[in-house]
Amino acid sequence: MATSTEVLPAVQAQGDRWRPSTQGWVARRLVLLLILGGVVFLTATVEGYWADRISRAAIFAIIGLSLNMVLGYIGQVSLGHQAFVGIAAFIAAYYATEKAGCEFEGCSMSTFITSTVFAALSGATAAGILGLVALRIRGLYLALITLAYGLVSQNSIFEISFLTRGGAGMPAVRPDGWVGDNAFAFLTLIFLAGVIFVDWSMMRSKVGRAILAVKHSEPVAASYGINVTGYKIIAFVLSGMFAGVAGSLFAFRNQNVVANDFSFVETLTWVLMVVVGGLGNRVGVIVGSAFFALFGFILEPLLHGLGGLWGPLHFLEEAGAQAYVVIIVGAALAILTIILHPGGIGDQISPITRWLGGQRFSLHPEGHGKHEAASVDEVKTGLMAKLGLQPPTDSATDRAGAEEAAETGIIEQVEVSDRTARATPGDEPVVHAPGTTEPPSVTDAGPVPESNGDPAAVPARRRGLLAKIGRRDHATKQEEKTP
Amino acid sequence: MTSVLRVEDTGIRFGGLVALEGVNLQVPEWEIVGLIGPNGAGKTTLFNCITGLYSPNTGTVYYRDKNISMLPTHRRTALGIGRTFQNIGLVRGLTVLENCLVAQHPRIGYGAISGIFGGPRSFVEERKLKAYAMEVLDFFDLTHLADASLDGLPYGTLKLIEIATVMATDPDLVLLDEPTSGMGPDEAHRLGQQLLELRKTLNLTMLMIEHHVPLVVDVCDYVYCLNFGRVLTEGKPLDVRNHPEVIAAYLGDEAVEDEISDEEHLAAQEERRAKEEADALP
Repeated sequence: MATSTEVLPAVQAQGDRWRPSTQGWVARRLVLLLILGGVVFLTATVEGYWADRISRAAIFAIIGLSLNMVLGYIGQVSLGHQAFVGIAAFIAAYYATEKAGCEFEGCSMSTFITSTVFAALSGATAAGILGLVALRIRGLYLALITLAYGLVSQNSIFEISFLTRGGAGMPAVRPDGWVGDNAFAFLTLIFLAGVIFVDWSMMRSKVGRAILAVKHSEPVAASYGINVTGYKIIAFVLSGMFAGVAGSLFAFRNQNVVANDFSFVETLTWVLMVVVGGLGNRVGVIVGSAFFALFGFILEPLLHGLGGLWGPLHFLEEAGAQAYVVIIVGAALAILTIILHPGGIGDQISPITRWLGGQRFSLHPEGHGKHEAASVDEVKTGLMAKLGLQPPTDSATDRAGAEEAAETGIIEQVEVSDRTARATPGDEPVVHAPGTTEPPSVTDAGPVPESNGDPAAVPARRRGLLAKIGRRDHATKQEEKTP
Repeated sequence: MTSVLRVEDTGIRFGGLVALEGVNLQVPEWEIVGLIGPNGAGKTTLFNCITGLYSPNTGTVYYRDKNISMLPTHRRTALGIGRTFQNIGLVRGLTVLENCLVAQHPRIGYGAISGIFGGPRSFVEERKLKAYAMEVLDFFDLTHLADASLDGLPYGTLKLIEIATVMATDPDLVLLDEPTSGMGPDEAHRLGQQLLELRKTLNLTMLMIEHHVPLVVDVCDYVYCLNFGRVLTEGKPLDVRNHPEVIAAYLGDEAVEDEISDEEHLAAQEERRAKEEADALP
C-alpha cells in the first residue's frame, strides 16, 4: 500500500541526481578543449582565404544568434535583418573612415571598438523601432512589415551618399595588428564568444525566462508579473545589438561596404539557417549558421569535382548564382527540417551537447518520463499530510477516525452531491472517502501535526515558508480589521 | 471593514455584446468568495478586468482601497494579486521548477541589464530564487517533479503545479478560475480542504470561480452569482444556492429537492468559521 511516507523512486532520483565522476568531467573538458582548440588551431594555421571564410562563419553565427532572439526566443518573424546589419555596417565604416580618418592613417584598436559600439547602438535603435511595431502586430503581418522595413531601408538609407559613398562603397580599414585574415578571424571569434556569453547569460537569467513566457502566452506572462511590453522590446533591442556587432565586423572584414551586400537574399539565407539550425537552440543556430556561411564555398569545388551540373541546371554554376543555390538548397533543408526534425541541427546534436554539459550520454533528455513514478493521488495525500490534514479515511473501516476528523472540523461537511452515501439521513455524518480502495493510513504518515491552527504546532519548515510567503500573520490582519 | 478587493460598477462590452454591466463586488480580508454563474455569464471576463488583461469601459477596481484601474497586469501581480487560469496557465516548454522561477519575477533582486550581461549579483540571486522555488515545490510535495517537463503530466497535477506557481508570485489575494475543472467530486472536495488550509497557513484571501456547487457551499464565505454580465444575487452560499432565480438560471430544478437541512449545514459552517478565527489568533 502506498502511503505518504513511502519514498517514491522519483524522489530518490531527485535526491542523488546523476553527476559525472572526476574522470567523466575530465573527459568532457578534454573534448570541449579539443573542439575549441581545433577552431583556434585552424584559424591560426589555415591559408588566408580560409581564415577569411572562418570570419564569415563567425559573423553569420552572430547574425544567427541575433535572428534567433526574435525568431526562436520571442517567436516573431523578422525579414528585415539585412537592414539592421547594413545600417550598422555603414555606421561603423562611416565612423572609422570619415570621423577617425582611418582611410589613410590606419585604424587603431580603440577606433575599431568605438565604431563597433556605434554600430551596435544603431542596430539596437533600428530594431527597437521595429520592436515598437511588433507590440501591436504579430505573425504574418509583422513579417510583412519587417520585409517592407528592410526593403525601404535598403532603398533609402543605403542610398545616402555621404554615408555610403554611392556605388563605390565606404572603406573600412582593419585595426592595426589585426589586418591579416587570420588575425581578423580571431577578432571575429572573440566577438562571437562575447555574443554567446551575453546570449547564455540572458537565457539563464530572469530575462530569458520572461521572454520565453511571453512567447508562450502573454496573459500568463503578465499574470506572473512580467512586463510583456518591456521584454518584447528588450528582445528586439538585443537582437538589433547583435546584428549591429555583426554589421561592424562585416564592414571591417570586407574592408569596403557596398549597399549590394545587404539584399533581401541575405535575410532569406539567415532565416533559413536559423530554422535549419534549430529555433531557440544556441549551439544548433551557431552550427547551422556556420554551415550556411561556408556551404557556397564547399559547393563550388564539389560541383567541379563531379563534373558540373546536369545540362539544364548548368546556369546555377554561373557566377552570381551561388547565393541562389544556397537559398534553394537551404529551403529544401528547411522543409526537411520542419517535416522530419523540427528541432533542427541543435536537436540532432543535443545528446552531445548534453553530455558536454555534464549529463549521461543518452538520446533523450533527462527528466523525461521521470515523473510517471508518482501518481496524483500520492502527491495530494502528501500535501494533505504536510498541511496538517488527515488523509481521507474509509468510513466503513475507520469509523472512529472519521468521527474524530468530523470533530476537529476537517471533514465536517457531508458532500452535498454525494446522495448515494447518505442512505441513512439523521445518522452520524458519513464521511466521504475518496480512493476507498486504498486508504492511506494516518499512523504511517509519521509526525503529522494536528490541524489545530496553533502556530506552535506548525512544523518548522512550514513556518519558514509562512514567514516568507505570508506578508503579515493573521493577528496583524485582525488588528487592521478592527481599528 | 476594509476589503482586499472592491470592484465598482464595472462594465465592458465587446462590440455590441455587453459582457459585464454594473458589476459591484467586494472581497473582504481573509474570506473565500465564490463567483458562480452559467457559461458565458462573464465570470472570467470579470477576472480579466480585475487583473487588467481587459480594460473595462466603466467602473473602478480597488485593491486595499487603492485604485488600480489604470495599472497594467504585471504591476497588479506585483501588488499581490495572483491568478490561475481556466486552461492551465503554465509556461509549456519550461520545467516545473522553471515555472516557479518565472513566477517569482516581480520579486527578483537584480535588474534586466545585470541579467543580460552576467552581473555577479544575478548569479547570487538566481541561487536564492532556486532555493525558494524548491521550498514552494516542497510545500506542495512536488519536488520530485522539479526537473520534469509539463508535457505528459496529469491534469490534476498540473492544476496543483499552477497553484504552486501562483504561491511563488507571493500573492495576497488569489483569483482562482475553476480550480476543480477536470476533477471528480472527490478530488474537488479535497482541493477545497486544501484551499482552506492554504488560507490558514499563508493568510490568503481568495476569489474563486467555481461550477462545483457543493464545493462552493462548503468552502466559500460569500457567493456572487453572475448571469448575463450582471450580479444576479449575492449572499451566504446557502442563500444563493436556494435563491429561486439562481436555481432557475444555473442549478436546474433538482437543487430544490435537495434534502440536506440548511440549518444543520449553516450551524456546521458557523462552527468551523468560529474555530478558524479562534485558531488563527495566537
